[in-house]
Amino acid sequence: MRMQPARVLRFLGVRFVSSAVVLLGVLVVVFAIVQLVPGDPVRLALGTRYTPEAYEALRAASGLDRPLPEQFVGYVGGALTGDLGVSFRNGEPVTTTLLSRLPATISLALAGLAIALVIAVPAGIWSALREGRVSDAIVRTASQFGVSIPDFWLGMLLISLFSVTLGLLPASGYTAITDDPAEWARRVALPALTVGLVAGAIMTRYIRAAVLDVASAGFVRTAVSKGLPRRVVTFRHIVRNALVPVLTIAGIQLATILGGVIVVEVVFAWPGLGRLVYDAVAARDYPLIQGAVLLIAVMFLLVNLLVDVLYAVIDPRIRVS
Amino acid sequence: MGKRVISGAALAVAALLVAGCSAGEGVDLDSSGAEGEVLVAAIGGEPDQLDPQKTTSYFAFEVLENVFGTLVEPDENLEMQPALAESWEVSDDQLEWTFTLHDGVTFHDGSEFTSADVVYSYDRIIDEELSNAWKFAAVTDVTAPDDQTVVITVAQPTPNLLSNLGGFKGMAIVQEDNVASGDITTAPVGTGPFSVEEYVSGDHITLTANADYWGGAPELGGVEYRFISEPATALAALRGGEIQWTDVVPPQQVGELETDEALELGVTPSSDYWYLALNQAREPWSDVRVRQAIAYAIDRDAIVQAVSYGTAELNQLAIPEQSVWHTAYDTYATDMDTAQQLMQDAGFTGGTLDLLATSDYPETVTAAQIIAANLEPLGIEVSIRQPDFSTWLDEQNSGNFDMLMMGWLGNIDPDDFYYSQHHSTGASNAQKYANPEVDQLLDAGRVETDTEARKDLYAQAATIIADEASYIYLYNPSVIQTWSPSVTGYEARADRAIRFRDAALGD
Repeated sequence: MRMQPARVLRFLGVRFVSSAVVLLGVLVVVFAIVQLVPGDPVRLALGTRYTPEAYEALRAASGLDRPLPEQFVGYVGGALTGDLGVSFRNGEPVTTTLLSRLPATISLALAGLAIALVIAVPAGIWSALREGRVSDAIVRTASQFGVSIPDFWLGMLLISLFSVTLGLLPASGYTAITDDPAEWARRVALPALTVGLVAGAIMTRYIRAAVLDVASAGFVRTAVSKGLPRRVVTFRHIVRNALVPVLTIAGIQLATILGGVIVVEVVFAWPGLGRLVYDAVAARDYPLIQGAVLLIAVMFLLVNLLVDVLYAVIDPRIRVS
Repeated sequence: MGKRVISGAALAVAALLVAGCSAGEGVDLDSSGAEGEVLVAAIGGEPDQLDPQKTTSYFAFEVLENVFGTLVEPDENLEMQPALAESWEVSDDQLEWTFTLHDGVTFHDGSEFTSADVVYSYDRIIDEELSNAWKFAAVTDVTAPDDQTVVITVAQPTPNLLSNLGGFKGMAIVQEDNVASGDITTAPVGTGPFSVEEYVSGDHITLTANADYWGGAPELGGVEYRFISEPATALAALRGGEIQWTDVVPPQQVGELETDEALELGVTPSSDYWYLALNQAREPWSDVRVRQAIAYAIDRDAIVQAVSYGTAELNQLAIPEQSVWHTAYDTYATDMDTAQQLMQDAGFTGGTLDLLATSDYPETVTAAQIIAANLEPLGIEVSIRQPDFSTWLDEQNSGNFDMLMMGWLGNIDPDDFYYSQHHSTGASNAQKYANPEVDQLLDAGRVETDTEARKDLYAQAATIIADEASYIYLYNPSVIQTWSPSVTGYEARADRAIRFRDAALGD
């Protein structure tokens, strides 16, 4: 399977263009947030007591006094250059706030994904290879549980077990991994476990399906009929080929985790993007909400793009289509 | 091979947990140089900024209470006591207040605190029209004849000047350099018992004890504030020993916490109050009998139970029993016969009442639902509206409501409780109440300098206001906080000020 640079480039080009189109769509939606919400965001930001001057000043500062098309062009232009406006609440540039919260979310998401993979890859493969047996039923039931459990409730359960009853791990708090890796690990353990168990349950089902899919494919039957040992068939043919969809699932899960850890971050008081979105919504800080939604969408796009590229590199058949 | 993979996974998870645990038990919170332990407190959210004169966020004031000083400050009965001003005198004509400042007070950066700082701080609020400027409405001049003296001149006698100057940290004395550099929003410099050492956005704010605090260095080495919005997490963190204090307590947990010997619970009625108001510019609510009928018909017990799980204090007037300004009043017990009779007398046979609540304050919606049920027997069909708060304010200001429910928070002086709400020219008299006698009493209360006489004026005014149901008062919500038994010297306060300067951590 030799790489064909021209085709890879063309594939990448198509993916970039389609990502850019999606990004533009996201910008439109994000921009529309402020236009569509009931009530006047400037008024909401100022609270009950304010002077007309303060109102006009904030309105002008946030550009809400200009015509809509001009506002949109300004917003898109700003967003492309990294200027997402300033927070209503504290006047900080939104970009600065978002970037300061990004490491916490990324480190939690990666830790969660690692736990999910550690659970899902062996469990999914094992379950698929034992399709129909009791052990398969156990794994499927367990993953059904994992999929159905609200992450909020699971988080509380882990807190009550590990923090209150056993006193092993903290229920809240954050240390940057760069400051103190051991302390980071201690504090990330419970939120990452919450994220990882839920994501792991979802991935187990996908992986099981992917392995079953490959196991029934023609080339596996051929390999078996050639008389290859079961071990060889399982690892060389089935598992290796099933890794391609697994990569996709892992990528989608990572993107989902990055954008969807709001509840987990709130439960564990984890100072990431999810918590920021929660606070911004509570404070009606529209520029911050807009910026956070945009950033999450961009991360989603990037991860998907990366997965697509890896996918194409691993499996050349993908590129042709 | 299946077995091996599974146990491998379990091992990896276990390894992660163990690796985490091996970092050591407990949280290392040694602060630079300060002696004494650091108390970790969980508050429900992050301050928007730390400039006391600009912020309106309670989360900010929970921190700033310990960082800044005011000229005077309320004691536990909410009576004003000396603080940065050790004494004051009022001129015979009641128009000139001369404050003598405490000796040897310094800001956290070591610079000296003088009368110029007071003048600067007050001028800033007035000149920049900051949100507390209205508290200086009666003030015509603030001067500093010498370093130790501040003279405040008022246009008319102003007995509530002290509570306006010291009621909360929004009136704090700030430092000019700190404001000019812009650092005040994240690294404020005050004169309080603790100084801000570290502010990590999204995670925590750390305060260090101010060894040079004029009132004596605090016993605690510092206070770390964490932002935990989820009550179950805050309580778990408290039980697990990660934090020692929190006010992130839902009222439905109070029963459980009361019986928990491992925690201390502080519940005290606040000086906030919640009320109903009927639009007196509209028929038939302009008839006092119809308003009274509604006051008799509502079931306050049920409302208190539903909104606060019984933790709020029933009240038929605005000011809670604990306050020195409290007036006894209990006219309106739930009494459907009286209510029906009043309705009949008024010739009101029924109709639809539009009740303005807001989704931003869920208690208004809960209470509105009970009120709807209470008024049904009177032939009143209540239609509840629950827009967001900014729409609510618009609707209130334009008089587009039959009845509304809301609360007033952070009151101290009786003038805060009654003037703007019930004076015919009051800025917040959205229900359009007008009674010349009440106007006269409230005007007199504003300038009466004899405390006993003043109490009497407000007792009269409040009684008339409630008799005529300008507001139908419901309850004072409670301040609910919980902390570890190792915390000593701390008490929950009616004004929701979180003061840690006298607190200590034992074992």
